[in-house]
Amino acid sequence: MSTVWKRWIPAAVAGVVVAGAAVAVPLSAGATAGLPGKSPQEVLALVAGSSVTAFSGTVEQTSDLGLPTLPSGTGSGSGSASHSGGATSGGTSGSEGSAGTAAAASSALDLLTGTHTARVYVDGTTGSGNLRVQVLDQLAERDVIKQGDTLWLYDSGKQTAVHATTSATADAVPTGPEQTATPQQLAAKFLDAASSTTDVSVGGDVTVAGRSAYDLVLTPQSGSTLVGAVSIAVDSATGLPLRVEVTAAGASDPAFSSSFTSLDLSTPPADLFSFTPPAGTTVTEKTVEKPSAPSGDATAPAHSASDAAKPIVTGTGWSSIVELPAGSDSSALTSSPLLAQLTTPVSGGHLLSTTLLNVFVADDGRVFAGSVSAEALEAAAAQ
Amino acid sequence: MSHSDEADSPTASGARVTQPLTRRPTAGWALMGSELAVLFRRRRTWVMLLALALIPVLVAVAVRISSAGSSGRGPAFIDQISQNGLFVALVALTICIPLFLPLTVGVVAGDTIAGEANLGTLRYLLVSPVGRVRLLVVKFVAAMAFCLAATVVVVLAGVLIGAALFQVGPVTLLSGDTIGVGQAGLRALLIAGYVTVSLLGLTAIGLFVSTLTDIPVGAMAATVVISIVSQVLDSLPQLDALHPWLFSHYWLDFADLLRQPIEWSSFGSNALLQLGYVAVFGALAYGRFASKDVLS
Repeated sequence: MSTVWKRWIPAAVAGVVVAGAAVAVPLSAGATAGLPGKSPQEVLALVAGSSVTAFSGTVEQTSDLGLPTLPSGTGSGSGSASHSGGATSGGTSGSEGSAGTAAAASSALDLLTGTHTARVYVDGTTGSGNLRVQVLDQLAERDVIKQGDTLWLYDSGKQTAVHATTSATADAVPTGPEQTATPQQLAAKFLDAASSTTDVSVGGDVTVAGRSAYDLVLTPQSGSTLVGAVSIAVDSATGLPLRVEVTAAGASDPAFSSSFTSLDLSTPPADLFSFTPPAGTTVTEKTVEKPSAPSGDATAPAHSASDAAKPIVTGTGWSSIVELPAGSDSSALTSSPLLAQLTTPVSGGHLLSTTLLNVFVADDGRVFAGSVSAEALEAAAAQ
Repeated sequence: MSHSDEADSPTASGARVTQPLTRRPTAGWALMGSELAVLFRRRRTWVMLLALALIPVLVAVAVRISSAGSSGRGPAFIDQISQNGLFVALVALTICIPLFLPLTVGVVAGDTIAGEANLGTLRYLLVSPVGRVRLLVVKFVAAMAFCLAATVVVVLAGVLIGAALFQVGPVTLLSGDTIGVGQAGLRALLIAGYVTVSLLGLTAIGLFVSTLTDIPVGAMAATVVISIVSQVLDSLPQLDALHPWLFSHYWLDFADLLRQPIEWSSFGSNALLQLGYVAVFGALAYGRFASKDVLS
């Protein structure tokens, strides 16, 4: 009888070993060597003094904003039939109509839901800097390649490419995967906001992408914001921000996280930054000036896109509210069936509610956004 | 099918009975050789490989005779076929991975032990001094060989029919970079390797299920059902935490080999995951098979 039991020992051992490895490997990755203690100011100086100009790495971005998960393929263009209608009609004909904007909106929304992995290559040692971001979708890829003054956006699923010069990138390229921001860009943004409105402290040492890091924790003093805490992991050796996590007020797990999963500080090969659109790709050329919307655009007859609507900011610090006056962009957004699905109708408009950000679209076309409660937005709209 | 089984089995078991006469170190290789011969001489194996080869042919012919552009609809890469025939292999793989490859692998892996038991040849195999461990290993390696053959057949048939019906030229990678035909062939081989490795976990599960029963059809069906259940679970966003543990999770990530530079991390995590499945279900199969009363 005992021999029968012995036969099952390998099965038990294999199970225990696999389960043990599954538990132990993440734990050992989280173990940290004791770093010398630093004050928040010293960590901030470490960030400011960071001299890393070239690196390559893999970034994983996870968003749990309470938005419904979009059907896979929406925005990523990996073969959804419903999506191709909107994207090809607007994009390939070169018109800047509402279909293109709606596709851009769904593309941006796609990056704000679920998990995305991107490879980032940065080489700031030459000229105005080279950058390549590859958003790795399943069976597809979206690329941003910036070499000096030229910028390419490439979408392998739709087989489209956009060619632009750098000066046009600021406003004319709202759709690109660069919205998967690197921890560096995000940290700079948050460090700017860390003024008198924020408690800055240094948490326990963490390990990100196999590197020991200081954890800078920003806690808003205002109780009216939806943001509970922002945590920035700063590499102890180079001062490079390695991870940004945003936690909603009252929540324990981060609602948004952008983190390096691997980092290599050597200069990436130069040929990564040269891009030639492959044969069969539809290339759209972007000029420096953003062209005004076609006058025949049915969705925005009353608005001219040329009077570029400036956003108005009310409130201060974490609880500031951004008001976007009525314009063609907002009307294109509100007419998008995708956003109609995401928003809930409230009195006087529609509300897009997430754990970190609320967006209120008034019936007259004005858009209010802020990390504040929906009531505060509606109050701002009523003024 | 049954006719060929009956025709093959006596000669195969006859060859195995003579093994004690040979020296022991070679006995394992002789058993391996005879097992592979039995597997690849079977008419069923040939029919399955032929069916797999038909899929790229169907894809290529369908794209060839329909001139209408599909513009983003249908499986990934299908738009590129008319520009480059090599993409037929990729489209065929994308189509085969969710169902056809698991189906054929499930048939082979589910048949390993249960098939012998059902034919009444398992007893004879074990009467000759072939250890049960060795028999399990040989059966698993033979099933692995089938995984490789099945994948290579799909890729090869795709490349050949693509080259026959369409022009072949430099291949555009997912990153937008273009590589030459030679390099593309190398990547196709890598992808075949990736898909083969991807199927090993399912093969080990099939081997274990096959030790549980004497009815091969039951083991085959159960293996295929398990692969489908795994893919269904993988598509439910509510089970996010479970996904990295499903053996089918990395199946479609073979596309990471089509990026520039190649993204190896999914290859590594896939290999590790499949190794874990092979270890656990191989050990379970040993536990079951070694403690089992073989009556047929």
